[in-house]
Amino acid sequence: MNKDLKFLIVDDFSTMRRILRNLLKEVGYENVEEAEDGNQAFHKLQIMAFDFVITDINMPNMNGFQLLKSIKTEDKLKHLPVLMVTAEARKEDIVLAAQSGAAGYIVKPFTKATLEDKLKVILVKYNLV
Amino acid sequence: MSEINKSNIHQELGQLTRQLHTALNGLGMLDPVKNLAGEIPDARSRLTYIANLTGNAAEKVLNIVDEEKLKHEKLQKECKNVKNWIKENGDVNLDMEVIIDFIEKVKNNSIDSDEKMTSIMMAQDFHDLTTQVVEKVMSLTQNIEQHLVKLVVETAPEGFVDKKEDTNLKIEPLTIETYEPIGPSVDAENNKNVVSNQSEVDDLLASLGF
Repeated sequence: MNKDLKFLIVDDFSTMRRILRNLLKEVGYENVEEAEDGNQAFHKLQIMAFDFVITDINMPNMNGFQLLKSIKTEDKLKHLPVLMVTAEARKEDIVLAAQSGAAGYIVKPFTKATLEDKLKVILVKYNLV
Repeated sequence: MSEINKSNIHQELGQLTRQLHTALNGLGMLDPVKNLAGEIPDARSRLTYIANLTGNAAEKVLNIVDEEKLKHEKLQKECKNVKNWIKENGDVNLDMEVIIDFIEKVKNNSIDSDEKMTSIMMAQDFHDLTTQVVEKVMSLTQNIEQHLVKLVVETAPEGFVDKKEDTNLKIEPLTIETYEPIGPSVDAENNKNVVSNQSEVDDLLASLGF
Protein backbone atom coordinates (compact mmCIF):
# COMPACT_ATOMS: atom_id res chain seq x y z
CA MET A 1 0.00 0.00 0.00
CA ASN A 2 1.35 3.39 -1.02
CA LYS A 3 0.67 5.63 1.97
CA ASP A 4 2.20 8.66 0.26
CA LEU A 5 -0.59 9.01 -2.28
CA LYS A 6 -1.87 12.57 -2.34
CA PHE A 7 -5.63 13.04 -2.30
CA LEU A 8 -7.70 16.09 -3.20
CA ILE A 9 -11.14 16.18 -1.53
CA VAL A 10 -13.63 18.54 -3.19
CA ASP A 11 -16.93 19.35 -1.45
CA ASP A 12 -18.67 22.59 -0.52
CA PHE A 13 -19.61 21.17 2.92
CA SER A 14 -16.76 21.34 5.43
CA THR A 15 -18.41 18.55 7.44
CA MET A 16 -18.24 16.16 4.49
CA ARG A 17 -14.62 17.12 3.72
CA ARG A 18 -13.78 16.42 7.34
CA ILE A 19 -15.52 13.02 7.28
CA LEU A 20 -13.74 12.02 4.09
CA ARG A 21 -10.41 13.18 5.46
CA ASN A 22 -10.93 11.13 8.63
CA LEU A 23 -12.00 8.06 6.66
CA LEU A 24 -8.96 8.31 4.39
CA LYS A 25 -6.77 8.55 7.48
CA GLU A 26 -8.42 5.43 8.91
CA VAL A 27 -7.59 3.45 5.77
CA GLY A 28 -4.01 4.74 5.82
CA TYR A 29 -3.94 7.90 3.71
CA GLU A 30 -2.99 11.11 5.47
CA ASN A 31 -1.65 13.18 2.59
CA VAL A 32 -4.84 15.11 1.88
CA GLU A 33 -5.72 18.55 0.51
CA GLU A 34 -9.19 20.09 0.36
CA ALA A 35 -11.12 22.39 -1.94
CA GLU A 36 -14.56 23.97 -1.50
CA ASP A 37 -15.59 23.88 -5.14
CA GLY A 38 -14.51 22.89 -8.63
CA ASN A 39 -12.73 26.18 -9.32
CA GLN A 40 -10.60 25.98 -6.20
CA ALA A 41 -9.90 22.31 -6.90
CA PHE A 42 -8.82 22.92 -10.49
CA HIS A 43 -6.52 25.73 -9.35
CA LYS A 44 -4.88 23.41 -6.79
CA LEU A 45 -4.50 20.71 -9.42
CA GLN A 46 -2.57 23.15 -11.59
CA ILE A 47 -0.06 24.04 -8.89
CA MET A 48 0.32 20.80 -6.88
CA ALA A 49 0.81 17.16 -7.84
CA PHE A 50 -2.04 14.85 -6.83
CA ASP A 51 -2.66 11.14 -7.24
CA PHE A 52 -6.39 10.94 -6.63
CA VAL A 53 -9.44 13.24 -6.68
CA ILE A 54 -12.62 12.69 -4.66
CA THR A 55 -15.36 15.12 -5.59
CA ASP A 56 -18.95 15.99 -4.84
CA ILE A 57 -21.17 17.02 -7.78
CA ASN A 58 -23.52 19.69 -6.46
CA MET A 59 -21.18 22.62 -5.73
CA PRO A 60 -21.12 26.33 -6.58
CA ASN A 61 -18.46 27.88 -8.88
CA MET A 62 -17.95 24.76 -11.04
CA ASN A 63 -19.81 21.57 -10.19
CA GLY A 64 -18.26 18.11 -10.00
CA PHE A 65 -19.06 17.23 -13.60
CA GLN A 66 -17.46 20.41 -14.89
CA LEU A 67 -14.40 19.64 -12.77
CA LEU A 68 -14.31 16.08 -14.12
CA LYS A 69 -14.47 17.38 -17.68
CA SER A 70 -11.74 19.95 -16.99
CA ILE A 71 -9.48 17.24 -15.57
CA LYS A 72 -10.12 14.80 -18.41
CA THR A 73 -9.43 17.40 -21.10
CA GLU A 74 -6.15 18.61 -19.61
CA ASP A 75 -3.15 16.56 -20.74
CA LYS A 76 -1.24 16.71 -17.48
CA LEU A 77 -4.31 15.82 -15.38
CA LYS A 78 -6.34 13.34 -17.44
CA HIS A 79 -4.51 10.35 -15.93
CA LEU A 80 -5.97 11.15 -12.48
CA PRO A 81 -8.68 8.85 -11.08
CA VAL A 82 -11.76 10.89 -10.11
CA LEU A 83 -14.19 9.33 -7.65
CA MET A 84 -17.60 11.02 -7.44
CA VAL A 85 -19.08 11.00 -3.93
CA THR A 86 -22.50 12.62 -4.16
CA ALA A 87 -26.14 12.77 -3.17
CA GLU A 88 -27.14 12.95 -6.87
CA ALA A 89 -28.82 9.58 -7.39
CA ARG A 90 -30.56 9.76 -10.76
CA LYS A 91 -29.56 6.99 -13.13
CA GLU A 92 -28.69 9.63 -15.73
CA ASP A 93 -26.19 11.17 -13.31
CA ILE A 94 -24.44 7.82 -12.90
CA VAL A 95 -24.39 7.17 -16.64
CA LEU A 96 -23.03 10.67 -17.33
CA ALA A 97 -20.27 10.18 -14.75
CA ALA A 98 -19.22 6.86 -16.25
CA GLN A 99 -19.29 8.20 -19.81
CA SER A 100 -17.31 11.29 -18.78
CA GLY A 101 -14.46 9.22 -17.35
CA ALA A 102 -15.18 9.06 -13.62
CA ALA A 103 -13.28 6.23 -11.95
CA GLY A 104 -16.14 5.48 -9.56
CA TYR A 105 -19.44 6.72 -8.16
CA ILE A 106 -20.57 6.59 -4.52
CA VAL A 107 -24.01 7.83 -3.43
CA LYS A 108 -24.45 9.56 -0.08
CA PRO A 109 -25.06 8.40 2.59
CA PHE A 110 -22.27 5.84 2.37
CA THR A 111 -20.25 3.65 4.71
CA LYS A 112 -16.54 3.44 5.42
CA ALA A 113 -16.58 -0.06 3.90
CA THR A 114 -18.01 1.26 0.61
CA LEU A 115 -15.35 3.97 0.35
CA GLU A 116 -12.63 1.47 1.19
CA ASP A 117 -13.88 -1.02 -1.43
CA LYS A 118 -14.10 1.59 -4.17
CA LEU A 119 -10.65 2.97 -3.33
CA LYS A 120 -9.12 -0.51 -3.51
CA VAL A 121 -10.66 -1.25 -6.91
CA ILE A 122 -9.65 2.12 -8.37
CA LEU A 123 -6.13 2.06 -6.99
CA VAL A 124 -5.53 -1.36 -8.53
CA LYS A 125 -7.03 -0.30 -11.85
CA TYR A 126 -4.87 2.84 -11.96
CA ASN A 127 -1.71 1.02 -10.76
CA LEU A 128 -1.47 3.13 -7.63
CA VAL A 129 -1.03 0.39 -5.01
CA MET B 1 -37.04 50.13 -25.76
CA SER B 2 -38.86 53.39 -26.50
CA GLU B 3 -40.56 55.41 -23.79
CA ILE B 4 -43.97 54.77 -25.39
CA ASN B 5 -43.40 51.00 -25.34
CA LYS B 6 -42.23 51.10 -21.70
CA SER B 7 -45.30 53.08 -20.77
CA ASN B 8 -47.59 50.63 -22.63
CA ILE B 9 -46.02 47.63 -20.94
CA HIS B 10 -46.33 49.31 -17.57
CA GLN B 11 -50.01 50.00 -18.22
CA GLU B 12 -50.61 46.38 -19.27
CA LEU B 13 -48.86 45.10 -16.12
CA GLY B 14 -50.93 47.45 -14.00
CA GLN B 15 -54.11 46.18 -15.65
CA LEU B 16 -53.10 42.53 -15.16
CA THR B 17 -52.31 43.16 -11.51
CA ARG B 18 -55.68 44.81 -10.98
CA GLN B 19 -57.42 41.90 -12.73
CA LEU B 20 -55.53 39.38 -10.59
CA HIS B 21 -56.41 41.33 -7.47
CA THR B 22 -60.10 41.39 -8.48
CA ALA B 23 -60.06 37.67 -9.33
CA LEU B 24 -58.47 36.71 -6.01
CA ASN B 25 -60.88 38.94 -4.15
CA GLY B 26 -63.80 37.42 -6.02
CA LEU B 27 -62.66 33.92 -5.07
CA GLY B 28 -62.32 34.99 -1.46
CA MET B 29 -58.62 34.24 -1.59
CA LEU B 30 -57.10 37.69 -1.32
CA ASP B 31 -56.58 37.62 2.43
CA PRO B 32 -55.37 34.00 2.57
CA VAL B 33 -52.85 34.66 -0.21
CA LYS B 34 -51.66 37.85 1.52
CA ASN B 35 -51.22 35.88 4.77
CA LEU B 36 -49.36 33.10 2.98
CA ALA B 37 -47.04 35.59 1.23
CA GLY B 38 -46.27 37.04 4.64
CA GLU B 39 -45.36 33.64 6.01
CA ILE B 40 -42.80 32.84 3.33
CA PRO B 41 -39.97 34.94 4.88
CA ASP B 42 -40.77 33.19 8.14
CA ALA B 43 -40.43 29.81 6.39
CA ARG B 44 -37.08 30.89 4.97
CA SER B 45 -35.74 31.83 8.38
CA ARG B 46 -37.01 28.54 9.81
CA LEU B 47 -35.14 26.60 7.15
CA THR B 48 -31.99 28.63 7.85
CA TYR B 49 -32.43 27.76 11.51
CA ILE B 50 -32.58 24.07 10.61
CA ALA B 51 -29.45 24.29 8.46
CA ASN B 52 -27.56 26.07 11.27
CA LEU B 53 -28.72 23.67 13.94
CA THR B 54 -27.81 20.54 12.02
CA GLY B 55 -24.49 22.06 10.97
CA ASN B 56 -23.61 22.94 14.57
CA ALA B 57 -24.56 19.47 15.79
CA ALA B 58 -22.42 17.81 13.13
CA GLU B 59 -19.47 20.08 14.01
CA LYS B 60 -19.87 19.34 17.74
CA VAL B 61 -19.94 15.59 17.18
CA LEU B 62 -16.96 15.61 14.82
CA ASN B 63 -14.89 17.65 17.30
CA ILE B 64 -15.62 15.15 20.06
CA VAL B 65 -14.86 12.22 17.76
CA ASP B 66 -11.51 13.77 16.76
CA GLU B 67 -10.49 14.24 20.40
CA GLU B 68 -11.53 10.74 21.37
CA LYS B 69 -9.81 9.09 18.44
CA LEU B 70 -6.55 10.81 19.37
CA LYS B 71 -6.85 9.65 22.98
CA HIS B 72 -7.62 6.08 21.94
CA GLU B 73 -4.65 6.09 19.58
CA LYS B 74 -2.35 7.12 22.44
CA LEU B 75 -3.90 4.54 24.75
CA GLN B 76 -3.42 1.78 22.21
CA LYS B 77 0.25 2.73 21.88
CA GLU B 78 0.64 2.65 25.66
CA CYS B 79 -1.03 -0.76 25.84
CA LYS B 80 1.45 -2.04 23.27
CA ASN B 81 4.37 -0.55 25.25
CA VAL B 82 3.20 -2.07 28.55
CA LYS B 83 2.66 -5.47 26.90
CA ASN B 84 6.18 -5.40 25.41
CA TRP B 85 7.62 -4.22 28.73
CA ILE B 86 5.94 -7.12 30.56
CA LYS B 87 7.20 -9.62 27.97
CA GLU B 88 10.77 -8.25 28.12
CA ASN B 89 10.83 -8.27 31.91
CA GLY B 90 9.78 -11.93 31.93
CA ASP B 91 10.55 -13.49 35.33
CA VAL B 92 11.67 -10.29 37.02
CA ASN B 93 9.35 -8.98 39.69
CA LEU B 94 7.06 -6.63 37.93
CA ASP B 95 6.81 -3.07 39.15
CA MET B 96 3.23 -3.11 40.35
CA GLU B 97 3.20 0.67 40.51
CA VAL B 98 3.60 0.85 36.73
CA ILE B 99 0.82 -1.68 36.17
CA ILE B 100 -1.54 0.00 38.63
CA ASP B 101 -0.79 3.43 37.14
CA PHE B 102 -1.56 2.09 33.70
CA ILE B 103 -4.83 0.51 34.78
CA GLU B 104 -5.82 3.79 36.44
CA LYS B 105 -5.11 5.61 33.18
CA VAL B 106 -7.27 3.17 31.24
CA LYS B 107 -10.06 3.56 33.76
CA ASN B 108 -9.95 7.35 33.61
CA ASN B 109 -9.91 7.28 29.84
CA SER B 110 -12.93 5.06 29.89
CA ILE B 111 -14.81 7.41 32.22
CA ASP B 112 -13.90 10.36 30.03
CA SER B 113 -15.01 8.52 26.87
CA ASP B 114 -18.27 7.68 28.54
CA GLU B 115 -18.89 11.36 29.28
CA LYS B 116 -18.04 12.25 25.69
CA MET B 117 -20.53 9.62 24.48
CA THR B 118 -23.15 11.35 26.59
CA SER B 119 -22.22 14.65 24.93
CA ILE B 120 -22.61 13.04 21.52
CA MET B 121 -25.97 11.68 22.57
CA MET B 122 -27.08 15.12 23.76
CA ALA B 123 -25.90 16.70 20.50
CA GLN B 124 -28.68 14.72 18.79
CA ASP B 125 -31.22 17.07 20.35
CA PHE B 126 -31.26 18.93 17.05
CA HIS B 127 -33.50 16.19 15.67
CA ASP B 128 -36.37 17.09 17.98
CA LEU B 129 -36.05 20.83 17.34
CA THR B 130 -35.62 20.58 13.61
CA THR B 131 -38.53 18.15 13.25
CA GLN B 132 -40.84 20.66 14.91
CA VAL B 133 -39.69 23.40 12.59
CA VAL B 134 -39.89 21.17 9.54
CA GLU B 135 -43.49 20.26 10.43
CA LYS B 136 -44.36 23.93 10.67
CA VAL B 137 -42.85 24.64 7.25
CA MET B 138 -44.57 21.57 5.78
CA SER B 139 -47.88 22.81 7.07
CA LEU B 140 -47.25 26.17 5.43
CA THR B 141 -46.32 24.67 2.06
CA GLN B 142 -49.35 22.36 2.22
CA ASN B 143 -51.52 25.40 2.81
CA ILE B 144 -49.99 27.24 -0.13
CA GLU B 145 -50.40 24.19 -2.34
CA GLN B 146 -54.07 23.79 -1.45
CA HIS B 147 -54.85 27.43 -2.18
CA LEU B 148 -52.96 27.37 -5.45
CA VAL B 149 -54.62 24.14 -6.57
CA LYS B 150 -58.00 25.62 -5.72
CA LEU B 151 -57.10 28.73 -7.69
CA VAL B 152 -55.97 26.72 -10.70
CA VAL B 153 -59.04 24.46 -10.65
CA GLU B 154 -61.50 27.31 -10.26
CA THR B 155 -59.96 29.37 -13.02
CA ALA B 156 -59.25 26.51 -15.45
CA PRO B 157 -60.85 26.97 -18.89
CA GLU B 158 -63.47 24.46 -20.02
CA GLY B 159 -62.11 21.29 -21.56
CA PHE B 160 -58.89 21.47 -19.56
CA VAL B 161 -57.41 17.97 -19.45
CA ASP B 162 -55.14 16.83 -16.67
CA LYS B 163 -52.09 15.19 -18.30
CA LYS B 164 -51.00 12.04 -16.54
CA GLU B 165 -47.30 11.62 -15.89
CA ASP B 166 -45.56 9.00 -17.96
CA THR B 167 -44.66 6.29 -15.44
CA ASN B 168 -42.52 4.36 -17.91
CA LEU B 169 -39.51 6.59 -17.47
CA LYS B 170 -36.65 6.30 -19.91
CA ILE B 171 -33.17 7.41 -18.94
CA GLU B 172 -32.71 10.64 -20.89
CA PRO B 173 -29.07 11.40 -21.51
CA LEU B 174 -27.65 14.42 -19.71
CA THR B 175 -24.75 16.59 -20.83
CA ILE B 176 -22.19 18.29 -18.66
CA GLU B 177 -22.92 21.63 -20.36
CA THR B 178 -26.61 21.63 -19.43
CA TYR B 179 -26.32 19.68 -16.20
CA GLU B 180 -28.49 20.81 -13.27
CA PRO B 181 -28.08 18.98 -9.95
CA ILE B 182 -31.29 18.20 -8.02
CA GLY B 183 -29.83 17.24 -4.65
CA PRO B 184 -30.73 14.23 -2.49
CA SER B 185 -33.75 12.20 -3.61
CA VAL B 186 -36.24 12.05 -0.78
CA ASP B 187 -38.51 9.34 -2.22
CA ALA B 188 -36.12 6.94 -3.99
CA GLU B 189 -38.31 3.87 -3.31
CA ASN B 190 -41.16 5.33 -5.41
CA ASN B 191 -39.01 6.77 -8.19
CA LYS B 192 -37.81 4.32 -10.82
CA ASN B 193 -35.35 6.83 -12.18
CA VAL B 194 -33.36 7.09 -8.97
CA VAL B 195 -31.08 4.56 -7.25
CA SER B 196 -31.78 3.72 -3.58
CA ASN B 197 -28.39 2.42 -2.55
CA GLN B 198 -24.79 1.73 -3.63
CA SER B 199 -25.64 -1.79 -4.88
CA GLU B 200 -27.99 -0.29 -7.46
CA VAL B 201 -25.25 2.14 -8.55
CA ASP B 202 -22.80 -0.73 -8.99
CA ASP B 203 -25.37 -2.86 -10.85
CA LEU B 204 -26.19 -0.01 -13.23
CA LEU B 205 -22.51 0.62 -13.98
CA ALA B 206 -21.89 -3.10 -14.48
CA SER B 207 -24.82 -3.34 -16.88
CA LEU B 208 -23.27 -0.55 -18.95
CA GLY B 209 -19.90 -2.28 -19.05
CA PHE B 210 -18.14 0.03 -16.60
